[in-house]
Amino acid sequence: MSVDQNGAVGQSVLRREDDYLLRGQGRFVDDLPTPLNTLHLAFVLSPYAHARITSIDTSEAMALDGVVDVLTGADLAAMVKPIAAQIELPGYSFNTRDVLAVDEVRFAGEAVAVVVAESQYLAEDGIELVEVDYEPLAAVTDIHEATDPAAPQVNPTVPGNVYFEGRFATDNVAAGFDAAAHVIAEDFNSNRVTAVPIEPRGCLAVPEQPANLVFYSSTQIHHLLRTALAEFLDVAESTLRVVVPDVGGGFGIKAALYPEEFVCAALALRLRRPVKWIQDRYGALLTDVHARDNHYRVEAAIDDDGIVLALRAEIRTNGGAYSALPFGCTLETTGGARMIVGPYRITEYEYTATAVATHTAPVLAYRGVAQPVCFMAIEGIMDRIARRLGLDPAEVRLRNMVPTAELPWTNIVGVRYDTGSFVESLEMAMEMVNYDEFRASQAQGRLVDGKYRGIGICSFTEVSGTGAPGWRARGLTRLPGFDSGTVKVEPTGKVTAFVSHAHSGQGHFTTFAQVVADALGARLEDVTVVEGDTAAGPYGTNTFASRSAVTGGGALIRASEKARLKLARIAAFMLESTPEDIVVADGQMHVAGVPSRALSFQEVAETAYAMNTSDLPEGESFGVEETDFYDPPLVTMANATHIAQVAVDAADGTVDIEGYVVVHDCGRVINPMIVDGQVMGGVAQGIGEALMEEFVYDPDGGVRTATLMDYLLPSSVDVPNYQIAHIESPSIDTVGGFKGVGEGGLIGAVAALVNAVADALSDLDVNVNTKPLRPALLSRLIREAGG
Amino acid sequence: MTDEVEVTVTVNGRTRQSRVEPRRLLVDYLRHDLGLTGAHIGCEQGVCGACTVLLDGRTARSCLHFAVTVDGSDIRTVEDLADFDELHPIQEMFHQKHALQCGFCTPGFLLTAVELLERTADPDEAAIREALMNNVCRCTGYANIVDAVAEAAVELRRRSSA
Repeated sequence: MSVDQNGAVGQSVLRREDDYLLRGQGRFVDDLPTPLNTLHLAFVLSPYAHARITSIDTSEAMALDGVVDVLTGADLAAMVKPIAAQIELPGYSFNTRDVLAVDEVRFAGEAVAVVVAESQYLAEDGIELVEVDYEPLAAVTDIHEATDPAAPQVNPTVPGNVYFEGRFATDNVAAGFDAAAHVIAEDFNSNRVTAVPIEPRGCLAVPEQPANLVFYSSTQIHHLLRTALAEFLDVAESTLRVVVPDVGGGFGIKAALYPEEFVCAALALRLRRPVKWIQDRYGALLTDVHARDNHYRVEAAIDDDGIVLALRAEIRTNGGAYSALPFGCTLETTGGARMIVGPYRITEYEYTATAVATHTAPVLAYRGVAQPVCFMAIEGIMDRIARRLGLDPAEVRLRNMVPTAELPWTNIVGVRYDTGSFVESLEMAMEMVNYDEFRASQAQGRLVDGKYRGIGICSFTEVSGTGAPGWRARGLTRLPGFDSGTVKVEPTGKVTAFVSHAHSGQGHFTTFAQVVADALGARLEDVTVVEGDTAAGPYGTNTFASRSAVTGGGALIRASEKARLKLARIAAFMLESTPEDIVVADGQMHVAGVPSRALSFQEVAETAYAMNTSDLPEGESFGVEETDFYDPPLVTMANATHIAQVAVDAADGTVDIEGYVVVHDCGRVINPMIVDGQVMGGVAQGIGEALMEEFVYDPDGGVRTATLMDYLLPSSVDVPNYQIAHIESPSIDTVGGFKGVGEGGLIGAVAALVNAVADALSDLDVNVNTKPLRPALLSRLIREAGG
Repeated sequence: MTDEVEVTVTVNGRTRQSRVEPRRLLVDYLRHDLGLTGAHIGCEQGVCGACTVLLDGRTARSCLHFAVTVDGSDIRTVEDLADFDELHPIQEMFHQKHALQCGFCTPGFLLTAVELLERTADPDEAAIREALMNNVCRCTGYANIVDAVAEAAVELRRRSSA
């Protein structure tokens, strides 16, 4: 049997999602119709980073007409077990979190009570009437101060405020440093940021038969959420159904499991009424997981040619007050330590990676996870090698990169790079940005017309599509890696494809239909994709960490192939041929070489469903509904190069991005338009992270950035036009050849911009090793350097 | 509960008389009383623009108005843009140019673009970027939105000269 590829994969098919979203008919969780008896929740948030709760008086709130109940930590503790991330790493300090704080709060924004009322307005009235007495305690927010023996303890089961310390060393690191002609060392500091999807989080729990509870949530991980609800609420998983409606952006922060979800579900079960919670922006900024509060100390031993002989990294990440579910506070720690080697031939490597507890919001996944920071570090080191030796930064990278001819190549921490284009992506990006011309123009000096002009490169590997072995290598033994697909050919010959993912803007209804159309031999318009519902299709690991193309695409290809084989067996029987001779294309099946002997999917399906007078072949089961699972390899490695050209105003320190080029390689591209969209959106977030965004705590843990007027996001005037090109190096290790693309835009932008600004100011005696690079910082650096 | 007040507004061409609490936000009135859920709540701080509607022809943040304070006004929401099956040219260009991903902020961008193109038939890129700068999109990186508005301007000019 063969399939004539329709060629849907690779086309910029316009999105099916757009029409209803453009009409204002999206169904985000707060848009869902709610039963009239729905109750609404509002949470009382601690203003203190660290305090003992001495008393909570709920009587006044309870007396308010329309308030149904007010519950505190002790009440919820009787209904929900303490939640905990399961991390199996040697030396990891296990810790738990009560869904509402009991006795002690550990970060500003931690919820201490919940008001249940007949409307959202009344619930918010209620929280104003809850009287909480706190005894403020000393707090620590800084990752270095937190490990001082005199620092206040954040968590009773985390001694010394160290969640985890990981060490790794190859045998000859010291020898590499002994042999070095030069040692380049630098400290890199990264700002705490958070994803800020424009839709805040929310959930709606509706008690309903036959499932006891239908739970709608703006989550990226519906299956993992369902398992966790069952575990911590101690209810049968089979009585829960989690449904993901439209989600207004996730970027990783909605791939966490949050206390509010457990509270909402528990109260719906207890009160036997629908319960809804919609977060406001204040709560989102304070309680969504944060990211990137990291410090990297990197030392590179190099020879006179700029070749890295050995690399040392000391990494310290802020895990916040609790280890958040499901990935835990070590996510950035182990991630940065394992990913920093990037596209380079690092043969001797040593790291110490520490996750620290502080009185700040828990830290988990935000687009890119550790990579924006670890590549800021290693790419910053490459530029420093170039400046030290008087080489061009691009040349230093080219000398250290693993050339394509040497792929597949396994890096020093055991991750296989099956295919890629490290050198080619850099060379193409340099050509697109007229790199040599720009460098020549700098020869006359970087300060022209009051602006310092610079150019910055980030060449990087992008971890995507991680399988179970990849999670296990990072201690996440409870996290699967596979996803699932079910392909059902209906009696009418139309195709319904179920996949264990949940979209938050990625265009899955379009791209997965492209994948199924090609793998099954169906017409694209005949394929409908269903996802985001634990009752529709089998289990999976869901949508985060640039997984969906790799894991969902792979599972759907495998399920499609099984369905196609079954159709071919039935068609062969009907056509008195053999399955091997059946050709499938465009929703038709015919005998090879005899196109006139053809059957439509509908004619074959009618036989499968016993809706005509044809018999099934002996032993064939009814229906056409096939499921398969796909667990990708350890890690599926994409790669890219970003080059940014900037102008830094000498007078006020503002940064204009005058050119921006991306050459991206995510293997086989399913939909170029959507891939470009992912890249552009990621770059914009990277611009925010590099130049403006920062979540700021006072030294005592109070929050300074509680509104979007304080936490600045890039707008249409802050971002440039982007030039994007693709190299396709299809993965040879994954089904379908796809690699992930969700995070690369952000990862590359951060280091490219930081390096560009550093290059612009490199005639001055300043060290650009921190972000965000706001005008105040840059104008001070310029002023102090006498520029 | 506070006493309710009568409000009369024209929403998408239809006169609506309602009794609302004085503190009820316009965005909650539109979304939860009238079922027009296209305007979204992204911040309730007047920053993100996801709740943008046209209030007497000008863009307004429906999270910063009370329903009672717009008594007598004419309001247009995203639900009014398409002509049954046919999308408004701005909507159509958002589709063609992939100017939306999650779609949560999109209604606000569409109405901001409507206001711009009703005032300026042929805006240049800088004018489009400036007009859009008070709406936040976290998914697209803006470039495709800018393109879509520029292309919609071309289409609207073509139609008005036809």
